[in-house]
Amino acid sequence: MRTRIVITGIGMVTPLGQNPLEILRGIETGRSAVAPPTHFDATPFACPVCAEIKDFQPQSYVAEGKMIRLMNRDAQLAVVAAHLALVDAGVKPGGAYAPEEIALYGATGLAGLPLAEVIPLVKASTGSDGQFDPSRFGQAGLRAVSPILSFKILSNMPLCFVSICENIQGPNGIYTPWEGQGAQAIETAIRMLESGDAGCALAGGCDVKTHELAFLTLEQQGLFASWQKDHIGMAPGEGAVFLVLETADRAIDRGARMYAQVSGFSLRTHQPGTTRADTFGDVFKGLNLPPQPLGALVAADNGDVSIGEEEHQALASGQLTGADVIRPKKQAGDLFAAAAGLQVGLAALLVARNGRRVLANCFGHGSEQAAFVLEPP
Amino acid sequence: MKHRVVITGLGLCTSLGRSVDEFWRNLLAGHSGIGRISLFDASSLPVRIGGEVKNFKPGERLGEFPEAASERDRKIWLGLDAATGALADSLLPRDDFQNTMLFVGVSLETFFLEEVTPLAHAPDAVRDLVRQVMHQEPYRQLQTPLDRLTQILGDHYGLNHGRYTNCSACAAGAQVVGEAFRRLRDGTVAVALAGATDSTLNPLALGGFSLLQILSTENDRPDKACRPFDATRKGTVLAEGAAFLVMETLEHARQRRAHIYAEVLGYGSSLDAYRVTDPEPNGRGAASSMAKAIRDAGLQPENIDCINAHGTGTPKNDVAETLAIKQTLGAHACTIPVTANKSMTGHMIATSGALEAIASAMTLFTRKIPPTINRECPDPQCDLDHVVEGCRSFEGRTVLSNSFGFGGQNASLVFGRFDA
Repeated sequence: MRTRIVITGIGMVTPLGQNPLEILRGIETGRSAVAPPTHFDATPFACPVCAEIKDFQPQSYVAEGKMIRLMNRDAQLAVVAAHLALVDAGVKPGGAYAPEEIALYGATGLAGLPLAEVIPLVKASTGSDGQFDPSRFGQAGLRAVSPILSFKILSNMPLCFVSICENIQGPNGIYTPWEGQGAQAIETAIRMLESGDAGCALAGGCDVKTHELAFLTLEQQGLFASWQKDHIGMAPGEGAVFLVLETADRAIDRGARMYAQVSGFSLRTHQPGTTRADTFGDVFKGLNLPPQPLGALVAADNGDVSIGEEEHQALASGQLTGADVIRPKKQAGDLFAAAAGLQVGLAALLVARNGRRVLANCFGHGSEQAAFVLEPP
Repeated sequence: MKHRVVITGLGLCTSLGRSVDEFWRNLLAGHSGIGRISLFDASSLPVRIGGEVKNFKPGERLGEFPEAASERDRKIWLGLDAATGALADSLLPRDDFQNTMLFVGVSLETFFLEEVTPLAHAPDAVRDLVRQVMHQEPYRQLQTPLDRLTQILGDHYGLNHGRYTNCSACAAGAQVVGEAFRRLRDGTVAVALAGATDSTLNPLALGGFSLLQILSTENDRPDKACRPFDATRKGTVLAEGAAFLVMETLEHARQRRAHIYAEVLGYGSSLDAYRVTDPEPNGRGAASSMAKAIRDAGLQPENIDCINAHGTGTPKNDVAETLAIKQTLGAHACTIPVTANKSMTGHMIATSGALEAIASAMTLFTRKIPPTINRECPDPQCDLDHVVEGCRSFEGRTVLSNSFGFGGQNASLVFGRFDA
């Protein structure tokens, strides 16, 4: 018999706020955080909007102020979301679980080196021909580099800061850079719990796509094609979401509140030469869903015309229509590496409230596509 | 049911060779791959040495991989070279590719400073830069997403049974081997291609790491600069390269009569939860990772016959690792040989764990342990049985390989001799 895995804690830092229930209510009532960016000029880009987090105060959650200065924004968001998830679950490493028993799996996006930080460095490294001169970089450019630069561009740092701030010492891994990798982090955490390698797991992701370099890379990767063609599309966002997962037995033992049980998950690789609708359909087939109707669907539709249509096609061919649908990415922005955490976290809240099965689609960019099914525990 | 997992293909691209035979010959002979940096003018940097892959040009395999034509990130081409070598070495039939899981380890994105420079002096540099880059045809990317190699390899070979891009810094290479092992053992798949690629030998990465003061600045004697477990060690030396392994269940390997190098027995990972700058000084996290890997293999500490150490040559790491080995193995720690490949290869960050997995498999397969070079003045705090006299014959049955990452991510693997 498969080990039952339950979600007992949810931590969210999103453009729609930090309170999971208020975020869900906001999505259901049509609240949106999508707006023109306030930190840079988006006019060169096909996409004119993003979803920013306003008034983010990491110092309220991180005891050592010095450590915040070592973190990039992705890591700051991750640390706060992870803390909120553990508090929500009532898990304190060293309490019901030893620090070594708690697994930590996360996902992170493209390295967010702000162009504004790069400019002084390259200015100081410009040779007489106006080109980058490595010898001038050593003489002058390096002085313009912060000694802590490496901590801001090493992709594993969000995970490491979470482990340090929360004293988590168990099995771990971090994946990059799209939505599917966030799903892989949750999947791997579940597998670690099922195998007994961890008693409890913190899993999720963080991402910041609300700056020029991210927009530039997304445009170059063709992710604004829907904006170019149809003048609508996805709004890149920023945020972090972490979930606390436990085996049901341990959660019951410690009297934890259980939002939902993970009753199934399916991950598939998109193959060149097939449509994404085919891949999404394969994901649904992999879930082996019983015939009972879904209570709700947390859709992956991010406003991009093609993703929305392909998800709809796959749902129709899998006869998965008719459920109440929410589309968080259209209002909270596409959180990329953090998106799977948000989708599954919202699904858990819906299960807890309505007591019915919910499907969370974690479709997105890159080749890896996934979905999770949650049920009342 | 738990499946036994074996290694059936090896491929690498390193400063010590681009074939497993050449690499292994050089490693056993105690040759250093560290030299002066020639990839760019590093003359004004505090660190001017590294482990470059010589006689290697990005784009060499363009004929085979036309889809990578626009890629300028060196680590992508290093990875294509190593992964292609591993698949060729395994003689895996193409029919098996679609059921093969792919695991790729990486660390830093390469940021192309030369693209930014011409516009950095404009009054509104960021805005002008964006406009300029946007209107270039074809696009010149400022950064390459870290899963690019995963995408190219996956699409090219049709590896469509799950693709994972792990960015756990210096632990990434060991983690991808470990995660592939777990998926094979539990029967999720029958075949996996796992490995890592990295190239930090560019101005921004080398400059950034040198500011952390963990790199040796002994630029005048590159081959002596990396001295793991030596009392006079001054830091590690960065290197580039890639290493990949084909792993499969024993049933699958036997069915197709594959050549088997070694068996993977166990995997463990842990977090220091200490500081991003330093390892936990008593080796607590590292010991936990080793203990988990040994337990996962179903072994006792006294069943470990050799250690392929993380051994970076930084003052703090080597002492912490020694303490961790002693905590884990007890009195047995001082009775088994310890080798540190980075004394010759340098620190390839994400790649090191995968390359040291290959070295561990080759230790078991050839029954020879490569030496740790440059340990001329033993550090009394690092008083294990280091293989310093040259390569050593080895009749043991297991090797434990350690990889400990910046920020405190630790991973350990246990390999076993495979008797046909």
